[in-house]
Amino acid sequence: MSEPASIVFVVDDDPSVRRAIKRLVESVGLHVELFGSATEFINSSRPDVASCLVLDIRLPGISGLDFQRELVQTKNEIPMIFITAHGDIPMTVRAMKAGAVEFLTKPFRDQDLLDAIQVGLERDRVRRQRQAETAMLRERLESLTPREREILPLVVSGLLNKQVGAEIGATEATVKVHRSQLMRKMGASSLADLVRMSEKMGIAVPETHRPS
Amino acid sequence: MSTQPVDPQLRKTGIGVVGDVPWGSHFFMFYETKEDLLDTLVPYFKAGLESGELCLWVVSEPLTEEEARNALRKAVPKFEHYLADRSIEIVGERRVYFSGNDPDLQRVIRTWAAKTDYAVTRGYAGLRLSANTAWLEDKDWKAFSDYESEVNNSISRWRMTALCTYPLAGSTAAEILDVTRTHQFAIARRNRGWEVVETSELKQAKSEIKRLNDELEGRVIERTQQLAAANEAMRKEMIERQHAEEALLEAQAELARVQRALDMGELVVTIAHEVNQPLTALVTNGNFCLRRLEGVTPNLDELRLAIAEIVSDGTRASAVISRIRRLLVKGALRRTELDINRIIQGVSILLRTELKRCHVSLRTKLAPDLPRVAGDQVQLQQVLINLIMNAVEAMRLSAERSRKLLIRSAKSTDGVLVQVQDSGPGVEPGLADRIFEPFFTTKPEGIGMGLSISHTIIESHGGHLSLASSSAGALFEFILPVTINE
Repeated sequence: MSEPASIVFVVDDDPSVRRAIKRLVESVGLHVELFGSATEFINSSRPDVASCLVLDIRLPGISGLDFQRELVQTKNEIPMIFITAHGDIPMTVRAMKAGAVEFLTKPFRDQDLLDAIQVGLERDRVRRQRQAETAMLRERLESLTPREREILPLVVSGLLNKQVGAEIGATEATVKVHRSQLMRKMGASSLADLVRMSEKMGIAVPETHRPS
Repeated sequence: MSTQPVDPQLRKTGIGVVGDVPWGSHFFMFYETKEDLLDTLVPYFKAGLESGELCLWVVSEPLTEEEARNALRKAVPKFEHYLADRSIEIVGERRVYFSGNDPDLQRVIRTWAAKTDYAVTRGYAGLRLSANTAWLEDKDWKAFSDYESEVNNSISRWRMTALCTYPLAGSTAAEILDVTRTHQFAIARRNRGWEVVETSELKQAKSEIKRLNDELEGRVIERTQQLAAANEAMRKEMIERQHAEEALLEAQAELARVQRALDMGELVVTIAHEVNQPLTALVTNGNFCLRRLEGVTPNLDELRLAIAEIVSDGTRASAVISRIRRLLVKGALRRTELDINRIIQGVSILLRTELKRCHVSLRTKLAPDLPRVAGDQVQLQQVLINLIMNAVEAMRLSAERSRKLLIRSAKSTDGVLVQVQDSGPGVEPGLADRIFEPFFTTKPEGIGMGLSISHTIIESHGGHLSLASSSAGALFEFILPVTINE
């Protein structure tokens, strides 16, 4: 069986609610997996696809909000949609601040839940794409020689080959060779492209070489 | 007239019950027999003679001078010596009181003064006197009474003691009163013994009081100030107490309110969660069915399954409500014989501050001697509080300025009737049927359990809670059956 493109995880202690949500969400063609508790969810092995989590804020054992905090702390940034029977404003604010997609009061409108799920999945898709991109860039960065790694921030900061050469004690021609290797290895089509990649990877541009 | 300061030294009277007296003592006795006189006067003069006093015994009927002398002679060892140096004189009344045929009382007073002076100048300690009044006639009574009064007023300044003897026989009540008024104290025979009867003793203390007056006045002022200060302190304390009491009542009412809110809050959370779970499943399944039915060829098996769950969740939701209601009503049910008036009064006191805060004036019309009802005090309080707070809230929401609450109790054919009537807008006619339903509410913040629970409580007491028709405001009433002794 092939992996689904996306998965909706539902954590609720009420089996009847779980089944109903599964039925509804599956009716729009999404894949749903059910859990009775946060612990069950954490301990499960989940396929690495775009997903989101529909979660009752009142869970046995660990509360939904504590669970959310825990996930955020462990860099598990799965988008969360809270559903609750009794949500007050402070609770909602806390959940939203911690990055929840939506906060729905039970019983919710079916379309509200489905919309929130779509938003959550999209957010996860984007997040994954960005993560993949960053991972790829890191890989490319790893393939650079120390010399290439050294001139990268200087090039990005807008220095001419001659200036870079002066900076690292090499001729302009040598810098030119390193630079074209650098561009090729990083898969950058232009200097602007390389600058964008550096930003994504958080490569610091030396203060003194910032274009004024 | 001798006016030297009164010697603080006390004189022995020789009369056991009297004991020692200061100079200036003026007392009297009513006697019935000669023996009465000798009983007191012999020891009286014996003590006088032996204390170095000049003694003057004025005798009259029924005692003769001879008898007095003989009696003293028997009692006093050196009597002849005293008689010889005139330390004692025993004289008949005529010689003392009369000038010619008429009494001359002014002269008598002068005589006493002169005798006292004489006694002092001759080295006696003072004058000891006893006089009898048997000679006195009714016509002279007034004058004699005035004389006695004058003696009584003057004697405190003299080194003199005087024992006046009055025959009891023939004395009128008015005369006895006069005598009492004009002497400091009396000796009376009672149960064969003698007793001292205090009379106008204050007169004796008059000079002493006068001397102490200034000091006393000062002390009175000081004491008055102290008392005023104490009074002020007490008044302040009372005000503080009153404030504390009010604060206590307020705190109690606040506590009751908070408790109620907490109970309700807890309840809301529980109900919301317990009821919302099946409702969520139900609504979600319902929506699923609707979505599927929009499709071209709905999968009937799938739909049947969802609808079966809808039915089961609906049943579950209603079971939750029943369970909560049972929980609320059944919680620690304790039936005792109750006086419903006392419960009404208790709740009134509990909510007094709350009512005041909401500007609601409460009036109670409680029928006396109501039969007792069997019930759970806490639950009945809960019902009353709920009805009262509903009334208060209804009145607060209305624009009507005057907020009046009337609680009545009365005997009815079915038991005891309690009515709670407010001056609010009343219950809309269309809603009257629904107000006792669970979760039905007209209040913006209400959860619609109060009346439902109250209704259940009263039913569980074998009574009935209803909305009665009323000309103004809402009138809720309940009837509780009367306890029948089994």
